[in-house]
Amino acid sequence: MITREEWEKKLNAVKLRKEDMNTLVMNFLVTEGYVEAAEKFQRESGTKPEIDLATITDRMAVKKAVQNGNVEDAIEKVNDLNPEILDTNPELFFHLQQQRLIELIRQGKTEEALEFAQEELAPRGEENQAFLEELEKTVALLVFDDASTCPVKELLDLSHRLKTASEVNAAILTSQSHEKDPKLPSLLKMLIWAQTQLDEKAVYPHINDLSTGKLEDPSE
Amino acid sequence: MNSSPPPANSANGDTTNNGENGQDLNLNFLDKIRLSAKRDAKEDEGEELPTELNTINSAGGFLVVSPDKLSVKYTNTNLHGHDVGVVQANKPAPIKCLTYYFEIFVKDSGIKGQIAIGFTKESFKMRRQPGWEVNSCGYHGDDGYLYRGQGKGEPFGPKFTKDDAVGGGINYASQEFFFTKNGTIVGKIPKDIRGHLFPTVAVHSQNEEVLVNFGKKKFAFDIKGYEASERNKQQLAIEKISIPPNIGYGLVKTYLLHYGYEETLDAFNLATKNTVPPIHIDQENAIDEDDSSYALKQRKNLRQLVRNGEIDTALAELQKLYPQIVQDDKSVVCFLLHCQKFIELVRVGKLEEGVNYGRLELAKFVGLTGFQDIVEDCFALLAYEKPEESSVWYFLEDSQRELVADAVNAAILSTNPNKKDVQRSCHLQSHLEKLLRQLTVCCLERRSLNGDQGETFRLRHVLNNNR
Repeated sequence: MITREEWEKKLNAVKLRKEDMNTLVMNFLVTEGYVEAAEKFQRESGTKPEIDLATITDRMAVKKAVQNGNVEDAIEKVNDLNPEILDTNPELFFHLQQQRLIELIRQGKTEEALEFAQEELAPRGEENQAFLEELEKTVALLVFDDASTCPVKELLDLSHRLKTASEVNAAILTSQSHEKDPKLPSLLKMLIWAQTQLDEKAVYPHINDLSTGKLEDPSE
Repeated sequence: MNSSPPPANSANGDTTNNGENGQDLNLNFLDKIRLSAKRDAKEDEGEELPTELNTINSAGGFLVVSPDKLSVKYTNTNLHGHDVGVVQANKPAPIKCLTYYFEIFVKDSGIKGQIAIGFTKESFKMRRQPGWEVNSCGYHGDDGYLYRGQGKGEPFGPKFTKDDAVGGGINYASQEFFFTKNGTIVGKIPKDIRGHLFPTVAVHSQNEEVLVNFGKKKFAFDIKGYEASERNKQQLAIEKISIPPNIGYGLVKTYLLHYGYEETLDAFNLATKNTVPPIHIDQENAIDEDDSSYALKQRKNLRQLVRNGEIDTALAELQKLYPQIVQDDKSVVCFLLHCQKFIELVRVGKLEEGVNYGRLELAKFVGLTGFQDIVEDCFALLAYEKPEESSVWYFLEDSQRELVADAVNAAILSTNPNKKDVQRSCHLQSHLEKLLRQLTVCCLERRSLNGDQGETFRLRHVLNNNR
């Protein structure tokens, strides 16, 4: 068994650079899209953001537009940012169009919705079985007077907007050669994994509460 | 209630009321400076790599190694099974990495094409094919079989001959040997040989000639791609682990609080409230318990002053607000601040003023163990016309200011009367730092229990995507 004292010695011997920890935090702020926080952090710590902060503002504008149901606006913004994103992402484009349809249905614009579905979405559905199924599910919303009785009512949920927003956010990040997820959560998972792995061979103090990093004595 | 404020730590053993841990922490800052000095050196594990063939212990008489020690030719006439021309690399394969890999190129397959590539131990009988003896393994070109110590080999891959590039590798994560032919993996087998292994090449019939590549030239096989895909496999398994939601946000918040990045914190709090859906940081309780917002404004201000190089003002502020920190003129914090003032003078070319300041405030540290080497390196700045291009360039970097700001921050945190045991170094690390240290030690410990084989966790590598 490795005692707490021995273990703490090992912990203190690790060479950890402050700038690397700062980079990890900056990566978090940038990926989450917190522009002001990233700017302030750059000023307060001297850490350079890994991508141009202006691109974050653009990306956040797109995300916000989708979250507010302004899909047409979002599509325009994405194309302004980089027309290749939607060109190379048929699935994303379909989901955006689908969200547009959902918003029209939500607003009660039945005729417009049907026209939109036929002109814009049906051709995509013909090309792709999965799209067709999605389209049929969405159109089904029109059939029910009271949406709350519809089996696919989750499409009307605001959380579906968030799902679409997340998808477009990830696509923009990828197009900028940036990873779509911050690194910090992965490292936390790695810690859990590393402790589990080491459990096979040694008894030692664990960290069980990730939010405090409190070291606990090796359990009996 | 204290009647007199506690003195800050000093490096020469004054541990009046600061437990050993507190002293360790402040000395830690000095170690960090030493670490900066080494920043250019590659962060390798200190293992020497195989670079060429070993001509000393090879089966001389049966083969001849070229002058550049990167190719070998069989000169004998193959009469029996104990006149193999075997040659090992000059160093064993490194173990503190994910994989090791090398390649041979068959220039001439001679009369019988009995070429082999594999791994052997230092004590190997240098007249036998790798794999014909225990504790060795070899992939043989004449039959495509894999030999690993038993009398008979087993069918393994294709035969190989003239103009083929054949590679041999070790995967320390999966504990396997793997072999490749012309850029593709042909197979793998469990590695059950322990200890250091030498890349080995053998030739056994007249005129056989083989070139060896230890990495100086591009490999036919995409070893980097292979490593990346192995890491990915592990990463996929790790990603499936679940963690409490929004925990990243909590850790970033406590990090910002801990170091006093107040403006960033305010912007961060605003952003998380305005996110859709709003982020609820579950650890509000944990944050309060820690009292990590103690002296937040003061810490922010001091950090700004130090980062702007306004050391005199910083010292004045500390004297006003936390005199106990600057009371002992020989403490680590005082040293760092005076050093920084010196650096700032050198930075703007005020060398004479710098010399005077150094005499006044820094000379007293010369001769104090723990400080001497750093003082000397710092004074060395004076010797260069362009100190930023010298060996002590790191003193002029922004990171040095950040380091001093961190030391001041830690010193202020340790004056918190509400916290028991504030001197223990674990209290002076942010939660994030504790987690990263634990991750590193767990990986190192596991590797050490595994014969020190394999990669370990390196934050810098992860941030650079292992490039």
